[in-house]
Amino acid sequence: MNTLIKIIMLCGLLVGSAYAENTTTTTAKSPAQALDRDSVCTTCHDENEAKPILSIYQTAHGNKADSRTPSCQSCHGQSEKHLSSKSSAPDVIFGAKTTGAFSPNQAKEQNTACLSCHEKDPTRTHWQGGAHQAADLACTSCHVVHNAHDKVREKITQKDVCFTCHKDQKNQANKFSHHPIPEGKIACSDCHNPHGSAGPKLLVKSTVTETCYTCHAEKRGPLLWEHQPVTEDCTNCHTPHGSNVTPLLKSRPPFLCDECHDGPHASKSPVAENAAGTQGGYTGANPSSSYTGRACMNCHSMVHGSNDPAGALLQR
Amino acid sequence: MKIRKEEMKVSIMALAIRCALLATTTLPFGAYAIADDSTDELTKPSNTVNFGALYADQSSARFGQYNGLNSQGAYGLGGFDIRGGNGYDQNSGSGLRWKLGGSNLGTTSRELDGSASDQGKWKINLGYDELQHNITNSYQTPLQGNPGDNNFTLPSNFGSINTASPNGGTRSLTPTQSSDFQGVNESVNRKTGSFSTTYTFNPQFSAQIDYKHLDQSGAKLIGTGSQGGIGLIGGSTGKAEGNMIILNPTSYQTDNVNAALNWKGDKGHLTGGYYGSIFHDDYNSLSWQSPMASGASKCIGVNCYSNNTMSTAPSNSLHQANLTGGYNFGYDTKIAGGFSYGYNQQNSSFAPTLIPQASVSGGAYNMMAANGLSTSSLNGVVETKHGDIKLTNQSIKDLTLTAGYKINERDNNTDSNTYKYYNIAQTPGSASYYTGINTPYSNRKMQYEATAAYRITNAQNVNFGYEHESIKRWCNGVVGGAQCVSSPASNEDKMNLAYRLKALDNVNFNAGYTYANRRADNDPSFLANAGNYASTTAVSSSALNAGNYLGYIAYPYANRNQNIGKAGVNWQVTQKLDVGANGRYTYDTYDAKLGVQNGQAAGVNVDTTYNYAENSNVSAYWNWQNGQRNLRNGASNNGASQIVAPTSIWTNRLNDNSNTLGIMTRRGGLFNGKLDLIGDLSYSLNTTSYSTQVPYATCGTSTTLTCGALSPIKNEMWSLKLTSNYQLYKNGKLSLTYMYQKLNSNDYYYNGQQTGYTPSALMPTNLQMQNYAINVIGLTYNHSF
Repeated sequence: MNTLIKIIMLCGLLVGSAYAENTTTTTAKSPAQALDRDSVCTTCHDENEAKPILSIYQTAHGNKADSRTPSCQSCHGQSEKHLSSKSSAPDVIFGAKTTGAFSPNQAKEQNTACLSCHEKDPTRTHWQGGAHQAADLACTSCHVVHNAHDKVREKITQKDVCFTCHKDQKNQANKFSHHPIPEGKIACSDCHNPHGSAGPKLLVKSTVTETCYTCHAEKRGPLLWEHQPVTEDCTNCHTPHGSNVTPLLKSRPPFLCDECHDGPHASKSPVAENAAGTQGGYTGANPSSSYTGRACMNCHSMVHGSNDPAGALLQR
Repeated sequence: MKIRKEEMKVSIMALAIRCALLATTTLPFGAYAIADDSTDELTKPSNTVNFGALYADQSSARFGQYNGLNSQGAYGLGGFDIRGGNGYDQNSGSGLRWKLGGSNLGTTSRELDGSASDQGKWKINLGYDELQHNITNSYQTPLQGNPGDNNFTLPSNFGSINTASPNGGTRSLTPTQSSDFQGVNESVNRKTGSFSTTYTFNPQFSAQIDYKHLDQSGAKLIGTGSQGGIGLIGGSTGKAEGNMIILNPTSYQTDNVNAALNWKGDKGHLTGGYYGSIFHDDYNSLSWQSPMASGASKCIGVNCYSNNTMSTAPSNSLHQANLTGGYNFGYDTKIAGGFSYGYNQQNSSFAPTLIPQASVSGGAYNMMAANGLSTSSLNGVVETKHGDIKLTNQSIKDLTLTAGYKINERDNNTDSNTYKYYNIAQTPGSASYYTGINTPYSNRKMQYEATAAYRITNAQNVNFGYEHESIKRWCNGVVGGAQCVSSPASNEDKMNLAYRLKALDNVNFNAGYTYANRRADNDPSFLANAGNYASTTAVSSSALNAGNYLGYIAYPYANRNQNIGKAGVNWQVTQKLDVGANGRYTYDTYDAKLGVQNGQAAGVNVDTTYNYAENSNVSAYWNWQNGQRNLRNGASNNGASQIVAPTSIWTNRLNDNSNTLGIMTRRGGLFNGKLDLIGDLSYSLNTTSYSTQVPYATCGTSTTLTCGALSPIKNEMWSLKLTSNYQLYKNGKLSLTYMYQKLNSNDYYYNGQQTGYTPSALMPTNLQMQNYAINVIGLTYNHSF
């Protein structure tokens, strides 16, 4: 394994060094020069703008000591027509909808401006062809670049941005059983990479299980007695955004178990109101522990797998 | 009834937080001149410190599930956001900026973070986060031990419970036994510390390290079944499958490390990295005593109970090497991809199999038969491999083409062995035991995909995609000829078409359709290992078709057709008014005589926002979702053939319905711009119902109730939140918040948990439905500088 890792790293360095000489050397600019360049725009677009244009200087895009920091025209284009006539639009107007005098550019044109710097980033490797790119989203559909606080980059407020479009997930996240997303303790980006990924549903990892194990490492095993669907995909049983059935289950035992088992033990038995026990109208001798409460999981509680030599039936 | 009280502890972390809060309220006030220039107000960071208190008028674990407000009473509030550094002075020539933040400091959901960076050179982040997940405060148990312990014992006066009919078992507890029950709060605490740093060597190379330590404590409830066949002192025998719901400790620590070296070139980028995840569980087993006996017993005292042990989550590790990158062949053609190799190991010692026990035979009992345990730990090894590559081409005007390939493999190289053990229904030490053979599951998923996105006009886009997915499943080196899986392979083709139209400048429409077809190999002669390989050595009815009736296929492994349709429209009526509506519908059908037959899911969203003035708006939304699943199973078979007679079919329908309505409003600029009012009202009703039909039998007999509709699981929530923010002076703001939340919950789950109403061999927990109606009022002062 160590040899394999060394080979991979060596290949990476070789590829890197092969192209390093072709890379563009960024011309160092002094902060003063950078500010001077911005003044082409900020002479008019000053503190009196309804939108807080100048607050971009509080963001990474306004830290002029960093030679990579863009000027206004790096993103909005040279906008020569606009400079000569205010009735002409700047080259690139960002946004998802018309809020001012000019309509925003096509998403692709907006994104080209952002990706000119941000594309070569490991978290954006899969942007092209990813779900959000294919849906024609602009970076500014989610990001607010000029504001000091970009809601989507702050854990507590990120969900509000994502839920603007993902309304089903918003509803699910407020169900009886849910991850602490509404409470701001888990961000959507803890599990998803909105800029594209190699995993399903833009997950941060390559598979569903691997993503879940980042927090739920106790389920990773490998275990002595494995439960086959658990090793393949957590969403065989769980619905991660929220459920009416604790804990984040798609259905409740024994009905959930009946979707994969019909024969062994009590799985062949039809269950209805008897699951509600005596208070549900059942008048038999006593309710069955195979249907009541945790049902199958009263005994077969090690559904994620067991590491007990005597636990082949996932009972201990 | 006794209520366990936890000792008040002042941790080092709590002290640190208090110190940090104190520091933020004393130091920064004089540290910065208040910006009085409007340009500076925009370009210099605005720091804030807030503190206050709130009061909750009821205790509820459910309401305080994640927000830390689980007990009635007053809570302190505190938070701060302080930023500084010469990097905010554009003329300084420095890129140095720093930030300190904290929120919810007075609750168990507190967070602290700090960062410093010289932009373009280096960056350091530190974080600390707490979360107490309150699950229930109504759990009761006669077992003695604290949440987080792994050994629970019964009080000496509890005595045996005879579960043999007609004694009533746990339904007929004695007054002494009832008095031994005590309330225990079920909760899990999570504390996360994180550190990350990035260093940029030059415009081409940078390196980063992310480290996160997750510490979990507390416990979650888990079902247990007791070992049968133990000859108890007093003359009875330990009850097999006597159920007690006990506290499973979550004494976990997880360390995650991500280290990466990034290279960026003119045309490409490459990242090589390491991801490590080390999980540690303080325990490898959980032990408890069961008082249940399968016959009469006169025994009272500590030696009357059967001792039981089960495994807990084993410590494990994952080490993964990653390589990702992309390369632009030209402006129009790009390639991106990645590769990873992971090594996942688990070699924790097994839970003990020799269980100390006072019994008529005298000593401990062994859960394993003679020579039944070939190894003391698993030596489990799983190798994970991932590869992906995607080619994107935009050389034809308005057309974007992509082609991709992905592979994910879980190659389980864990040793397969034979384990001879006593099932919980058997008698330890007897001649009859089960022979288990572990079958380490491996699988490989490969996906090929191609998409074409064409911009018909500036106002119209159409996307077409095709994907083929194939899955292989196998087990490495299984001993004794045991079989692995019933479905060794499946293939699925998926096609989707999406269309977007900007019908007018202010109207956007989208629609899409997806069709998928999955074909799964299924072996009806597959013999299930099912815990006892001995019974599968000859073709037996109990093992055929994975132990299921012939014709039954578990839904993840059945042939499936899937149709998905969706459409939506967004209309910006005016610059002030937006209206949106969208919906989706999914219909799945499964090709299986028995098992899940079909499922459907539908959803509709309607929402509108009206921005009637600057900083003033009102919005309303409605969301409806419905999911259904239809199941067709057999109740009995025609003998060894496992074929279910048509007259023995039963069906079950799951219907999951959800409705949410809400209205939010914000009114700013009142009292000369000093007062903001925010209101948020929502209502949701979620129901989950099951309906079972047994055409082969008469329905309605109250002694069986195996048919009909089960009382729905219902959760109805009202929530109102009102906030007013009043600007006392330029830098001081007062916030008054009122929240009312009401949960009406109705769930049959709790019926069988109550004393007197449980199954005769299930110890009551007296868990209660988590209804609540809570008023919370809070007052916060926010100072900005």
